[in-house]
Amino acid sequence: MADAATIVGIERAEQFATVEQQREAATLGMWCWLLTELLLFAGLFLCALILRLQHPASVTLATKHLKFWIGATNTVVLICSSLTMSTAIVASRLGWRRLMLRAMLTTAALGTLFLCFKAYEYATDYAEHMVPFIARPYALAADQPTRLFVDIYYITTGLHAVHLITGIAILLVLTWQASRPRFLERHQNRIEIYGLYWHFIDLIWIIVFPVLYVLNR
Amino acid sequence: MSPSDVALLRDPGTPRATLDRPADYLHAEHTLRSWFLTTDHKRIALLYLASITGFFILGAIAAGLIRLALIVPNGQIFSNDTYNKIFTMHGVIMVWFFLIPSIPATFGNFLIPLMIGARDLAFPRLNLLSWYLFMAGALFTMLDLIIGGVDTGWTFYAPFSTTYSNSYVIPALIGVIIVGFSSILTGLNFIVTIHKMRAPGMGWFRMPIFVWTLYATSLIFLLGTPVITMALILLIMERAFHIGVFDPKLGGDPILFEHLFWFYSHPAVYIMVLPGMGVITELVAAFSQKSVFGYRFVAYASIGLASITFLVWGHHMFVNGQSQLASTVFSFLSFAVAVPSAVKVYNWTATIHKGSIRLDTPMLYAMGYIGLFVLGGLTGLFLATLAVDAHLHDTYFVVAHFHYIMVGGTMLAFLGGLHYWWPKFTGRLYPEAWGRVGAFLIFVGFNVTFFPQFILGYLGMPRRYHEYPPEFQILNIMSSAGSTILALGYFFPMSYLVWSLWFGKRAPNNPWNAKGLEWTTTSPPPAHNFDRTPIVDFEPYDYAIKAREVG
Repeated sequence: MADAATIVGIERAEQFATVEQQREAATLGMWCWLLTELLLFAGLFLCALILRLQHPASVTLATKHLKFWIGATNTVVLICSSLTMSTAIVASRLGWRRLMLRAMLTTAALGTLFLCFKAYEYATDYAEHMVPFIARPYALAADQPTRLFVDIYYITTGLHAVHLITGIAILLVLTWQASRPRFLERHQNRIEIYGLYWHFIDLIWIIVFPVLYVLNR
Repeated sequence: MSPSDVALLRDPGTPRATLDRPADYLHAEHTLRSWFLTTDHKRIALLYLASITGFFILGAIAAGLIRLALIVPNGQIFSNDTYNKIFTMHGVIMVWFFLIPSIPATFGNFLIPLMIGARDLAFPRLNLLSWYLFMAGALFTMLDLIIGGVDTGWTFYAPFSTTYSNSYVIPALIGVIIVGFSSILTGLNFIVTIHKMRAPGMGWFRMPIFVWTLYATSLIFLLGTPVITMALILLIMERAFHIGVFDPKLGGDPILFEHLFWFYSHPAVYIMVLPGMGVITELVAAFSQKSVFGYRFVAYASIGLASITFLVWGHHMFVNGQSQLASTVFSFLSFAVAVPSAVKVYNWTATIHKGSIRLDTPMLYAMGYIGLFVLGGLTGLFLATLAVDAHLHDTYFVVAHFHYIMVGGTMLAFLGGLHYWWPKFTGRLYPEAWGRVGAFLIFVGFNVTFFPQFILGYLGMPRRYHEYPPEFQILNIMSSAGSTILALGYFFPMSYLVWSLWFGKRAPNNPWNAKGLEWTTTSPPPAHNFDRTPIVDFEPYDYAIKAREVG
C-alpha cells in the first residue's frame, strides 16, 4: 500500500487525562448505546415469540407467506457487509486509507442492496394482500391472530430498516470525513466505534430472521 | 468619602466589581452563547434546574386545579373533558418533565464529576444534546397543551389512547419519546463517566453513595427507557396508521400495552426514588458528622433495588386479566423490594444515632423524607398484597401511596439537596431561618394534603373522577386545604433562593464541614472543577465520628 506510512491515532479531548482513557470511554459509550438499542427491539421479539406460543397454527400460517429466500439472501448480504466493515477497521488500524475507504463504500452498497431486497419483499407482500392495516382486503382475514403477527413483522423489519438507513447515512458522512487528510491521525477510533454499530444492525437482523421467518416453518 | 464607600452605603449586598479570586464557572464567560452552547456540566446542570423548575410550576398549577375541582362533590367546576385533561397534564409534566430529570439531570450533572474528581462528564457535547432533546420533547408536549390537551392520563392506556380518545395524543407521545432519548443519553454519559473518569485512588467503594445511586439509576435509564419508547411508538403506529397491536378490533391485545408500559414505568419509579436516596445519604452523614452506617450495604442495596425493580411490573395489573400464577409471583417479588428499601432506612437511622446532629434546613428535609418514605413504602406493601389490592386498586389509596414516595420522598430529597449544595452551585448561602420555616410548611402541607387521601381510597373513592358521593366532601376539602399550605411552602424556597443569588452571604468552600471531593474545591467551582487532579487517599465519609458496625 502506498500510504502505509500514515500515522494512526486519536486526538485527546480536554476532559480526558489520557488518550487511552478516551478510547475506552468511547467504546464503552457505544456498547451502552447498543444495549439500549437491543432492549428497544427486545419487546418486539418477545411479543412475536409469545404469540407463537399462544397461537402456533395461526403464526405458522402467517409465516408461510413471508419470503424465506429473500430473508435468507438478506442475511447473507448483511453478513458480507459486516465482513467489509471489519476489513475497513483493520485497514484503518494499519493506516491503509484507500482500502479502508473502499471497504466502507462497499459496506454502504451492501446495506443499500439489503434495502432493495427488502423493498421488493414489501412489494410482493402487497401484491399477495398481506398488508392488514390498509384499506384493501387482507388474505388471512379469517384468522384474526395472524394479524398481530403480520403487524409485528412490519414494525420490526421497518424499525430495522430505519436503523439501516440511518447507518448508511452516517457511514457515508464518515467516509467523506475519512477521505480528508489527517483523519486517521486524529480520529481513527471513530471507525472502530462505527463498526460496532454496523455489526449491531447485522446482529439484530440475525435475531429477526429466525424469530419471524424460520421457526416452525 | 470615596466613591466605593458610597456604593457600599447604597447597596450593601452588591458584590464589588472586581473579584478577589480567579473567575469561577459562573463568571468565566458571560454571553448567552456561553450558556446555551456550553459543554460545561455545571452550566448544563443549571440549564436543567431552570427548565425543570418551570415545568414544576406548570405541573403544580395543574395539581391546584385538580384540588380546586374536588372541593365540590358534583363535579361542577370543570367539564369532564377538561378535568381529564388537567390530571393528564399534571401527570405527564410531573413524571416526565420534573421527577425523572429532577435529581439526575441537575445534581447528577453538577456533582458526579466533582464527586469522582473528573474535569467533566465523558461526553460533554452529548450532555448538551440531552438538554436540547429534553427541551424539544417539552416543546411538543407544551404545544399539545396549547392546541387542546390530551385526556388519556399519563399512562396512555390502549385502546382508549389509540382509538377512542378525541384529544391530541400523538404530539404528547412524540414529546415523551424524545424526552426518553434525553434520559437514555444522560444515563449513558453517567455510566461511562463513573466507569472511566474516576480520579486516581477513587475506587468503586470510595465513591459517595450519591454516585452509586445514580449509577443504578443510569442502568434503569439504559435498560428500561427503550422499552417504553417502543411501546409508545407502537401506540403512534396504531393511532396514526391503524397497525393493530393493542386494539382487539385490529387484532391486537390491550394487556400487551400494559406489560410494555409498566416494564419501564415501574422501574421509572426507581429512577425517581434512587437519586433521592443518594441525596438523603449525603445529608444524613454530613449533618450527623458521622460516617455512613453499613456503607457497602447501602451501595449494594442501590444496585439491588435497580435489579429487582425490573421484575415487579405485574403488580400494576393484579385486576387487569393477568393470570393468577403471574400475579402471585409478582406479588412475592414486590414484597422483596421492601428488603433493600428497609436496608437504606435502617442505615440512615443508624447513621443519625449518636451522631453530632445539626438540624439545619437540609437535615429537616432529610428527616421529613425518612418518615414519609417509610409511610409511603409500607402502604406499598398493602398494595402488593393480592387480596387487599383488589379493594384498593385504582383508588385514592394508590394516589396517596405514590405521592408519599414521589413528593414526600423525591421532592423533599430534591429540596434538601438543593439547599445543601446551593452554596456550591452559586457561591451564596440561603437564609437559614426562612429555610426552616419553608421546610416546616412543606412537611405539614404535604401531610394534610395526602393523608386524607389514604382514608378516601380505603373508603372507596376511585382516582381520576371528579364526581363523588357527598360524604367524601369533608376529607376532600381537608386535602385541598392542605394543598394551599403546600403551595405556600414551595413559595418560600423559590423566593429566598432567587433572592440569595444577589443578596445571600458569600459561601465558604465547605459551609457544612462535610466530607467529599466536591467540598474540597472552591464555591462555586472553577470551570475545570479542580486546579489539580485530586488524588484520593481517604475513605468515603471520613467523619470524626465512626459508625460502629458490630453489635
